[in-house]
Amino acid sequence: MELLDRYLHAVKSGLPKAQQDDIIAELAEDLRSQIEDKEAELGCSLDEAELVTILKQRGHPAAVASRYLPQQYLIGPALYPIYRLVRKIVVVWVLVPVFALVVAPIAVATASHPSAELVKSLWDLAMSAVFTVGVVTAVFAAIERYPVEHKTWEKWDPRRLPRVPKTEPDTRPTPRATAIAELAASLIFSWLFVTWFRTTFDLGGVRITLAPIWRSLYWPFLLVLLGGVPVGWVSLIWPERTPLRSSIRLAIHGVTLVLVVILLRARMWVEIAAPQFPAAEIAQAVKWTNLGIGITLFIMAIITIGEAVHEVRRIFRRKPVRPMVTSSIAGN
Amino acid sequence: MNAELFENLRLELRRGCLILAVLAQLRAEHYGYALRKALAERGMAIDENTLYPLLRRLESQGLLVSEWREEDKRNKRFYRLSGDGKLILKQLLDEWHAINSSLSRVIEAEVEPNRSI
Repeated sequence: MELLDRYLHAVKSGLPKAQQDDIIAELAEDLRSQIEDKEAELGCSLDEAELVTILKQRGHPAAVASRYLPQQYLIGPALYPIYRLVRKIVVVWVLVPVFALVVAPIAVATASHPSAELVKSLWDLAMSAVFTVGVVTAVFAAIERYPVEHKTWEKWDPRRLPRVPKTEPDTRPTPRATAIAELAASLIFSWLFVTWFRTTFDLGGVRITLAPIWRSLYWPFLLVLLGGVPVGWVSLIWPERTPLRSSIRLAIHGVTLVLVVILLRARMWVEIAAPQFPAAEIAQAVKWTNLGIGITLFIMAIITIGEAVHEVRRIFRRKPVRPMVTSSIAGN
Repeated sequence: MNAELFENLRLELRRGCLILAVLAQLRAEHYGYALRKALAERGMAIDENTLYPLLRRLESQGLLVSEWREEDKRNKRFYRLSGDGKLILKQLLDEWHAINSSLSRVIEAEVEPNRSI
Protein backbone atom coordinates (compact mmCIF):
# COMPACT_ATOMS: atom_id res chain seq x y z
CA MET A 1 0.00 0.00 0.00
CA GLU A 2 3.03 2.26 -0.17
CA LEU A 3 1.96 3.40 -3.62
CA LEU A 4 -1.47 4.35 -2.28
CA ASP A 5 0.10 6.38 0.53
CA ARG A 6 2.39 8.16 -1.91
CA TYR A 7 -0.57 8.92 -4.15
CA LEU A 8 -2.65 10.30 -1.27
CA HIS A 9 0.29 12.37 -0.05
CA ALA A 10 0.73 13.86 -3.53
CA VAL A 11 -2.97 14.74 -3.73
CA LYS A 12 -2.89 16.25 -0.25
CA SER A 13 -0.15 18.71 -1.17
CA GLY A 14 -2.48 20.30 -3.73
CA LEU A 15 -5.50 20.67 -1.46
CA PRO A 16 -6.61 23.67 0.61
CA LYS A 17 -4.99 23.33 4.03
CA ALA A 18 -8.21 23.56 6.04
CA GLN A 19 -9.77 20.59 4.23
CA GLN A 20 -6.71 18.45 3.51
CA ASP A 21 -7.20 15.78 6.18
CA ASP A 22 -10.92 15.47 5.63
CA ILE A 23 -10.67 15.11 1.87
CA ILE A 24 -7.76 12.67 2.04
CA ALA A 25 -9.55 10.49 4.59
CA GLU A 26 -12.57 10.25 2.30
CA LEU A 27 -10.46 9.68 -0.80
CA ALA A 28 -8.45 6.99 0.97
CA GLU A 29 -11.63 5.27 2.05
CA ASP A 30 -12.99 5.35 -1.50
CA LEU A 31 -9.78 3.96 -2.97
CA ARG A 32 -9.58 1.20 -0.35
CA SER A 33 -13.17 0.23 -1.05
CA GLN A 34 -12.41 0.09 -4.78
CA ILE A 35 -9.28 -2.01 -4.16
CA GLU A 36 -11.21 -4.40 -1.92
CA ASP A 37 -13.90 -4.83 -4.54
CA LYS A 38 -11.29 -5.57 -7.18
CA GLU A 39 -9.53 -8.07 -4.90
CA ALA A 40 -12.85 -9.77 -4.21
CA GLU A 41 -13.50 -9.98 -7.94
CA LEU A 42 -10.05 -11.47 -8.67
CA GLY A 43 -9.91 -13.63 -5.54
CA CYS A 44 -6.42 -12.44 -4.60
CA SER A 45 -4.48 -9.37 -3.54
CA LEU A 46 -3.68 -6.80 -6.19
CA ASP A 47 -0.15 -6.66 -7.48
CA GLU A 48 1.65 -3.42 -8.09
CA ALA A 49 0.66 -3.18 -11.75
CA GLU A 50 -3.03 -3.56 -10.90
CA LEU A 51 -2.78 -0.91 -8.21
CA VAL A 52 -1.01 1.40 -10.65
CA THR A 53 -3.88 0.88 -13.09
CA ILE A 54 -6.44 1.93 -10.47
CA LEU A 55 -4.45 5.01 -9.47
CA LYS A 56 -3.82 6.05 -13.06
CA GLN A 57 -7.51 5.64 -13.75
CA ARG A 58 -8.21 7.99 -10.83
CA GLY A 59 -6.03 10.67 -12.42
CA HIS A 60 -2.90 12.69 -11.77
CA PRO A 61 -2.72 13.88 -8.14
CA ALA A 62 -2.64 17.54 -9.21
CA ALA A 63 -5.71 17.03 -11.41
CA VAL A 64 -7.58 15.26 -8.60
CA ALA A 65 -6.69 18.02 -6.11
CA SER A 66 -7.70 20.75 -8.55
CA ARG A 67 -11.29 19.47 -8.58
CA TYR A 68 -11.63 20.48 -4.92
CA LEU A 69 -10.38 24.02 -5.47
CA PRO A 70 -12.79 26.88 -6.05
CA GLN A 71 -13.03 28.05 -9.65
CA GLN A 72 -10.74 31.04 -9.95
CA TYR A 73 -10.14 33.55 -12.69
CA LEU A 74 -8.26 36.77 -12.90
CA ILE A 75 -10.91 38.57 -14.93
CA GLY A 76 -14.43 37.17 -14.95
CA PRO A 77 -16.77 36.74 -17.90
CA ALA A 78 -18.71 39.94 -17.09
CA LEU A 79 -15.63 42.16 -17.27
CA TYR A 80 -13.70 40.27 -19.93
CA PRO A 81 -15.28 41.88 -23.02
CA ILE A 82 -14.58 45.37 -21.63
CA TYR A 83 -11.06 44.30 -20.71
CA ARG A 84 -10.45 43.11 -24.27
CA LEU A 85 -11.81 46.36 -25.69
CA VAL A 86 -9.66 48.55 -23.42
CA ARG A 87 -6.59 46.44 -24.13
CA LYS A 88 -7.18 46.77 -27.86
CA ILE A 89 -7.73 50.54 -27.68
CA VAL A 90 -4.63 51.14 -25.56
CA VAL A 91 -2.30 48.93 -27.59
CA VAL A 92 -3.61 49.15 -31.16
CA TRP A 93 -5.01 52.66 -31.23
CA VAL A 94 -2.68 54.48 -28.84
CA LEU A 95 0.62 52.69 -28.29
CA VAL A 96 1.32 51.51 -31.85
CA PRO A 97 0.43 54.82 -33.58
CA VAL A 98 2.46 56.85 -31.07
CA PHE A 99 5.47 54.63 -31.70
CA ALA A 100 4.97 54.40 -35.45
CA LEU A 101 4.27 58.06 -36.08
CA VAL A 102 6.24 59.88 -33.38
CA VAL A 103 8.75 57.91 -31.31
CA ALA A 104 10.27 55.64 -33.96
CA PRO A 105 10.53 58.23 -36.79
CA ILE A 106 12.32 60.71 -34.54
CA ALA A 107 14.60 58.02 -33.13
CA VAL A 108 15.44 56.63 -36.57
CA ALA A 109 15.89 59.99 -38.26
CA THR A 110 18.24 61.33 -35.60
CA ALA A 111 20.25 58.13 -35.19
CA SER A 112 23.66 57.51 -36.65
CA HIS A 113 22.62 53.89 -37.40
CA PRO A 114 18.96 54.06 -38.46
CA SER A 115 18.49 50.32 -39.02
CA ALA A 116 19.80 49.51 -35.53
CA GLU A 117 17.60 52.26 -34.09
CA LEU A 118 14.59 50.84 -35.95
CA VAL A 119 15.17 47.41 -34.41
CA LYS A 120 15.59 49.03 -30.99
CA SER A 121 12.36 50.98 -31.47
CA LEU A 122 10.46 47.79 -32.35
CA TRP A 123 11.88 46.08 -29.26
CA ASP A 124 10.86 49.09 -27.14
CA LEU A 125 7.38 48.91 -28.66
CA ALA A 126 7.13 45.21 -27.79
CA MET A 127 8.28 45.83 -24.22
CA SER A 128 5.91 48.77 -23.83
CA ALA A 129 3.06 46.63 -25.14
CA VAL A 130 3.84 43.90 -22.60
CA PHE A 131 4.03 46.46 -19.78
CA THR A 132 0.82 48.20 -20.89
CA VAL A 133 -1.12 44.95 -21.17
CA GLY A 134 0.20 44.02 -17.73
CA VAL A 135 -1.02 47.29 -16.21
CA VAL A 136 -4.44 47.03 -17.89
CA THR A 137 -4.75 43.42 -16.70
CA ALA A 138 -3.77 44.39 -13.14
CA VAL A 139 -6.35 47.19 -13.08
CA PHE A 140 -9.13 44.88 -14.30
CA ALA A 141 -8.04 42.14 -11.90
CA ALA A 142 -8.32 44.68 -9.09
CA ILE A 143 -11.81 45.67 -10.26
CA GLU A 144 -12.73 41.97 -10.40
CA ARG A 145 -11.43 41.41 -6.90
CA TYR A 146 -12.96 44.54 -5.39
CA PRO A 147 -16.07 44.97 -7.51
CA VAL A 148 -17.74 48.33 -7.76
CA GLU A 149 -21.34 48.65 -8.78
CA HIS A 150 -21.67 48.93 -12.53
CA LYS A 151 -23.94 51.97 -12.49
CA THR A 152 -23.57 52.35 -16.24
CA TRP A 153 -25.05 48.89 -16.69
CA GLU A 154 -27.89 49.58 -14.29
CA LYS A 155 -28.87 52.87 -15.92
CA TRP A 156 -28.64 51.75 -19.54
CA ASP A 157 -31.35 52.77 -21.95
CA PRO A 158 -31.96 50.95 -25.25
CA ARG A 159 -32.71 54.30 -26.90
CA ARG A 160 -29.08 55.33 -26.35
CA LEU A 161 -27.62 52.32 -28.19
CA PRO A 162 -25.83 53.17 -31.46
CA ARG A 163 -27.84 52.89 -34.67
CA VAL A 164 -27.31 49.82 -36.85
CA PRO A 165 -25.24 50.77 -39.92
CA LYS A 166 -27.49 50.92 -42.98
CA THR A 167 -24.99 49.37 -45.36
CA GLU A 168 -21.99 47.11 -45.17
CA PRO A 169 -19.27 48.92 -47.11
CA ASP A 170 -17.13 45.83 -47.58
CA THR A 171 -19.87 43.81 -49.24
CA ARG A 172 -21.02 46.62 -51.53
CA PRO A 173 -19.48 46.65 -54.99
CA THR A 174 -17.22 49.63 -55.77
CA PRO A 175 -19.32 52.44 -57.27
CA ARG A 176 -18.71 53.10 -60.97
CA ALA A 177 -17.65 56.71 -60.27
CA THR A 178 -15.01 55.56 -57.76
CA ALA A 179 -13.64 53.04 -60.23
CA ILE A 180 -13.39 55.66 -63.00
CA ALA A 181 -11.77 58.16 -60.60
CA GLU A 182 -9.21 55.57 -59.51
CA LEU A 183 -8.35 54.71 -63.08
CA ALA A 184 -8.14 58.37 -64.16
CA ALA A 185 -6.05 59.36 -61.12
CA SER A 186 -3.57 56.61 -61.87
CA LEU A 187 -3.16 57.74 -65.49
CA ILE A 188 -2.90 61.44 -64.57
CA PHE A 189 -0.29 60.89 -61.84
CA SER A 190 1.71 58.61 -64.12
CA TRP A 191 1.65 61.26 -66.84
CA LEU A 192 2.70 63.98 -64.39
CA PHE A 193 5.50 61.76 -63.10
CA VAL A 194 6.85 61.06 -66.58
CA THR A 195 6.54 64.70 -67.63
CA TRP A 196 7.95 66.41 -64.55
CA PHE A 197 10.45 63.91 -63.21
CA ARG A 198 13.93 65.43 -63.03
CA THR A 199 16.84 65.01 -60.66
CA THR A 200 17.76 68.68 -60.35
CA PHE A 201 15.64 71.65 -59.31
CA ASP A 202 16.66 75.31 -59.37
CA LEU A 203 14.84 77.43 -56.77
CA GLY A 204 16.10 81.02 -57.03
CA GLY A 205 19.77 80.19 -57.00
CA VAL A 206 19.39 77.21 -54.71
CA ARG A 207 20.16 73.99 -56.58
CA ILE A 208 18.55 70.86 -55.17
CA THR A 209 19.84 67.59 -56.56
CA LEU A 210 18.17 64.26 -55.91
CA ALA A 211 20.44 61.40 -54.92
CA PRO A 212 21.14 58.79 -57.66
CA ILE A 213 18.88 56.31 -55.88
CA TRP A 214 15.81 58.21 -57.13
CA ARG A 215 16.86 57.83 -60.77
CA SER A 216 17.51 54.13 -60.33
CA LEU A 217 13.99 53.66 -58.95
CA TYR A 218 12.30 55.64 -61.74
CA TRP A 219 10.68 52.63 -63.52
CA PRO A 220 9.52 50.81 -60.37
CA PHE A 221 7.85 54.03 -59.17
CA LEU A 222 6.12 54.45 -62.52
CA LEU A 223 4.95 50.84 -62.26
CA VAL A 224 3.43 51.54 -58.82
CA LEU A 225 1.64 54.62 -60.14
CA LEU A 226 0.27 52.65 -63.08
CA GLY A 227 -0.92 49.98 -60.65
CA GLY A 228 -4.08 52.02 -60.18
CA VAL A 229 -5.08 51.22 -63.78
CA PRO A 230 -5.75 47.47 -63.28
CA VAL A 231 -7.37 48.19 -59.92
CA GLY A 232 -9.74 50.73 -61.49
CA TRP A 233 -10.35 48.38 -64.41
CA VAL A 234 -11.31 45.47 -62.15
CA SER A 235 -13.57 47.78 -60.11
CA LEU A 236 -15.25 48.91 -63.31
CA ILE A 237 -15.70 45.54 -65.02
CA TRP A 238 -16.05 43.18 -62.04
CA PRO A 239 -17.15 45.44 -59.16
CA GLU A 240 -17.89 42.50 -56.86
CA ARG A 241 -14.54 40.74 -57.23
CA THR A 242 -13.06 42.17 -54.04
CA PRO A 243 -10.39 39.46 -53.57
CA LEU A 244 -8.96 40.10 -57.06
CA ARG A 245 -8.95 43.87 -56.53
CA SER A 246 -7.39 43.48 -53.09
CA SER A 247 -4.74 41.08 -54.44
CA ILE A 248 -3.63 43.65 -57.02
CA ARG A 249 -3.57 46.37 -54.36
CA LEU A 250 -1.59 44.06 -52.09
CA ALA A 251 0.99 43.52 -54.85
CA ILE A 252 1.24 47.30 -55.35
CA HIS A 253 1.68 47.85 -51.60
CA GLY A 254 4.36 45.14 -51.58
CA VAL A 255 6.34 46.83 -54.36
CA THR A 256 5.85 50.25 -52.70
CA LEU A 257 7.16 48.93 -49.41
CA VAL A 258 10.25 47.45 -51.06
CA LEU A 259 10.92 50.79 -52.80
CA VAL A 260 10.48 52.75 -49.57
CA VAL A 261 12.82 50.41 -47.70
CA ILE A 262 15.43 50.74 -50.46
CA LEU A 263 15.09 54.52 -50.22
CA LEU A 264 15.32 54.47 -46.42
CA ARG A 265 18.54 52.51 -46.59
CA ALA A 266 20.07 55.26 -48.77
CA ARG A 267 19.93 57.70 -45.78
CA MET A 268 20.85 60.68 -48.02
CA TRP A 269 18.18 61.70 -50.49
CA VAL A 270 19.03 65.25 -51.61
CA GLU A 271 22.03 67.50 -52.00
CA ILE A 272 21.69 71.28 -51.84
CA ALA A 273 24.04 73.74 -53.49
CA ALA A 274 23.75 77.52 -52.92
CA PRO A 275 27.03 79.41 -53.33
CA GLN A 276 25.55 82.63 -51.91
CA PHE A 277 24.90 81.00 -48.48
CA PRO A 278 27.51 79.99 -45.89
CA ALA A 279 28.49 76.32 -46.01
CA ALA A 280 27.36 75.76 -42.40
CA GLU A 281 23.82 76.94 -43.21
CA ILE A 282 23.69 74.76 -46.32
CA ALA A 283 24.82 71.77 -44.25
CA GLN A 284 22.01 72.45 -41.77
CA ALA A 285 19.48 72.78 -44.60
CA VAL A 286 20.64 69.47 -46.09
CA LYS A 287 20.43 67.81 -42.71
CA TRP A 288 16.89 68.99 -41.93
CA THR A 289 15.60 68.34 -45.46
CA ASN A 290 16.90 64.78 -45.35
CA LEU A 291 15.46 64.36 -41.87
CA GLY A 292 12.05 65.44 -43.16
CA ILE A 293 12.27 63.09 -46.12
CA GLY A 294 13.37 60.26 -43.83
CA ILE A 295 10.40 60.77 -41.49
CA THR A 296 8.03 60.98 -44.45
CA LEU A 297 9.39 57.75 -45.90
CA PHE A 298 9.10 56.02 -42.53
CA ILE A 299 5.48 57.12 -42.12
CA MET A 300 4.84 56.02 -45.69
CA ALA A 301 6.23 52.56 -44.87
CA ILE A 302 3.96 52.26 -41.82
CA ILE A 303 0.89 53.38 -43.77
CA THR A 304 1.74 50.97 -46.58
CA ILE A 305 2.03 48.09 -44.11
CA GLY A 306 -1.31 49.07 -42.58
CA GLU A 307 -2.95 49.21 -46.02
CA ALA A 308 -1.44 45.84 -46.94
CA VAL A 309 -2.78 44.27 -43.75
CA HIS A 310 -6.18 45.76 -44.52
CA GLU A 311 -6.14 44.24 -48.01
CA VAL A 312 -5.10 40.83 -46.65
CA ARG A 313 -8.04 40.95 -44.26
CA ARG A 314 -10.37 41.84 -47.11
CA ILE A 315 -9.06 38.94 -49.18
CA PHE A 316 -9.62 36.39 -46.43
CA ARG A 317 -12.74 37.88 -44.94
CA ARG A 318 -15.77 35.67 -45.42
CA LYS A 319 -18.68 37.26 -47.12
CA PRO A 320 -21.29 37.72 -44.39
CA VAL A 321 -24.45 35.73 -44.79
CA ARG A 322 -27.40 38.07 -44.67
CA PRO A 323 -30.08 36.66 -42.40
CA MET A 324 -33.48 36.16 -44.01
CA VAL A 325 -35.32 37.51 -40.95
CA THR A 326 -33.98 41.07 -41.11
CA SER A 327 -37.17 42.52 -42.57
CA SER A 328 -39.41 40.69 -40.14
CA ILE A 329 -37.34 41.99 -37.20
CA ALA A 330 -37.59 45.48 -38.63
CA GLY A 331 -41.31 44.96 -39.13
CA ASN A 332 -41.81 43.98 -35.54
CA MET B 1 -14.25 17.02 -34.08
CA ASN B 2 -17.84 15.75 -34.01
CA ALA B 3 -17.03 13.19 -31.32
CA GLU B 4 -15.36 15.86 -29.19
CA LEU B 5 -18.23 18.26 -29.71
CA PHE B 6 -20.74 15.58 -28.83
CA GLU B 7 -18.80 14.68 -25.69
CA ASN B 8 -18.74 18.32 -24.55
CA LEU B 9 -22.46 18.74 -25.17
CA ARG B 10 -23.19 15.42 -23.48
CA LEU B 11 -21.26 16.46 -20.37
CA GLU B 12 -23.07 19.79 -20.35
CA LEU B 13 -26.41 18.02 -20.61
CA ARG B 14 -25.51 15.56 -17.84
CA ARG B 15 -24.16 18.16 -15.40
CA GLY B 16 -27.49 19.33 -14.03
CA CYS B 17 -28.97 15.83 -14.15
CA LEU B 18 -26.13 14.47 -11.98
CA ILE B 19 -26.97 16.91 -9.19
CA LEU B 20 -30.56 15.78 -9.34
CA ALA B 21 -29.52 12.11 -9.31
CA VAL B 22 -27.18 12.59 -6.35
CA LEU B 23 -29.79 14.47 -4.34
CA ALA B 24 -32.45 11.89 -5.16
CA GLN B 25 -30.17 8.99 -4.24
CA LEU B 26 -29.32 10.65 -0.93
CA ARG B 27 -32.90 10.52 0.26
CA ALA B 28 -31.37 7.42 1.86
CA GLU B 29 -28.05 7.67 3.64
CA HIS B 30 -24.96 6.56 1.71
CA TYR B 31 -21.21 6.87 2.03
CA GLY B 32 -19.31 8.00 -1.05
CA TYR B 33 -18.27 4.68 -2.57
CA ALA B 34 -21.67 3.09 -1.97
CA LEU B 35 -23.38 6.11 -3.49
CA ARG B 36 -21.22 5.87 -6.58
CA LYS B 37 -22.04 2.17 -6.97
CA ALA B 38 -25.74 2.75 -6.41
CA LEU B 39 -25.82 5.45 -9.07
CA ALA B 40 -23.84 3.30 -11.50
CA GLU B 41 -26.22 0.38 -11.00
CA ARG B 42 -29.10 2.70 -11.97
CA GLY B 43 -27.31 3.83 -15.12
CA MET B 44 -25.99 7.16 -13.76
CA ALA B 45 -22.29 6.37 -13.49
CA ILE B 46 -20.39 9.31 -12.09
CA ASP B 47 -16.68 9.86 -12.01
CA GLU B 48 -15.30 9.88 -8.47
CA ASN B 49 -13.38 13.09 -9.12
CA THR B 50 -16.71 14.70 -9.93
CA LEU B 51 -18.74 13.08 -7.17
CA TYR B 52 -16.69 14.00 -4.10
CA PRO B 53 -16.21 17.71 -4.90
CA LEU B 54 -19.94 17.82 -5.78
CA LEU B 55 -20.87 16.28 -2.42
CA ARG B 56 -18.75 18.89 -0.64
CA ARG B 57 -20.32 21.69 -2.61
CA LEU B 58 -23.85 20.47 -1.91
CA GLU B 59 -22.99 20.14 1.75
CA SER B 60 -21.53 23.65 1.91
CA GLN B 61 -24.78 24.88 0.31
CA GLY B 62 -26.71 23.25 3.12
CA LEU B 63 -28.44 20.64 0.97
CA LEU B 64 -26.62 17.67 2.50
CA VAL B 65 -25.46 16.72 5.95
CA SER B 66 -22.65 14.29 6.62
CA GLU B 67 -21.03 12.48 9.50
CA TRP B 68 -18.03 10.23 9.95
CA ARG B 69 -19.03 6.84 11.33
CA GLU B 70 -17.39 3.48 11.70
CA GLU B 71 -18.68 0.65 9.53
CA ASP B 72 -16.94 -2.68 8.94
CA LYS B 73 -14.09 -1.45 11.15
CA ARG B 74 -13.44 1.50 8.87
CA ASN B 75 -14.32 5.16 9.17
CA LYS B 76 -16.68 6.28 6.43
CA ARG B 77 -18.36 9.53 5.74
CA PHE B 78 -22.11 9.15 5.37
CA TYR B 79 -24.22 11.70 3.50
CA ARG B 80 -27.95 12.32 3.49
CA LEU B 81 -30.32 15.07 2.42
CA SER B 82 -30.84 17.93 4.86
CA GLY B 83 -34.24 19.55 5.44
CA ASP B 84 -33.40 22.24 2.89
CA GLY B 85 -32.12 19.56 0.55
CA LYS B 86 -35.46 17.74 0.65
CA LEU B 87 -37.28 20.96 -0.19
CA ILE B 88 -34.89 21.86 -3.01
CA LEU B 89 -35.04 18.32 -4.40
CA LYS B 90 -38.82 18.51 -4.58
CA GLN B 91 -38.63 21.87 -6.39
CA LEU B 92 -35.95 20.62 -8.74
CA LEU B 93 -37.92 17.47 -9.55
CA ASP B 94 -40.99 19.58 -10.35
CA GLU B 95 -38.84 21.76 -12.57
CA TRP B 96 -37.28 18.74 -14.22
CA HIS B 97 -40.69 17.21 -14.97
CA ALA B 98 -41.84 20.54 -16.42
CA ILE B 99 -38.72 20.84 -18.58
CA ASN B 100 -39.07 17.24 -19.68
CA SER B 101 -42.68 17.64 -20.81
CA SER B 102 -41.91 21.00 -22.48
CA LEU B 103 -38.98 19.44 -24.28
CA SER B 104 -41.16 16.54 -25.42
CA ARG B 105 -43.69 19.00 -26.84
CA VAL B 106 -40.91 20.95 -28.60
CA ILE B 107 -39.40 17.82 -30.11
CA GLU B 108 -42.77 16.47 -31.25
CA ALA B 109 -43.75 19.84 -32.70
CA GLU B 110 -40.57 19.81 -34.80
CA VAL B 111 -41.24 16.31 -36.10
CA GLU B 112 -44.80 16.79 -37.31
CA PRO B 113 -44.47 19.56 -39.95
CA ASN B 114 -41.16 18.38 -41.41
CA ARG B 115 -41.50 14.62 -40.93
CA SER B 116 -37.73 14.47 -41.07
CA ILE B 117 -37.02 12.57 -37.84
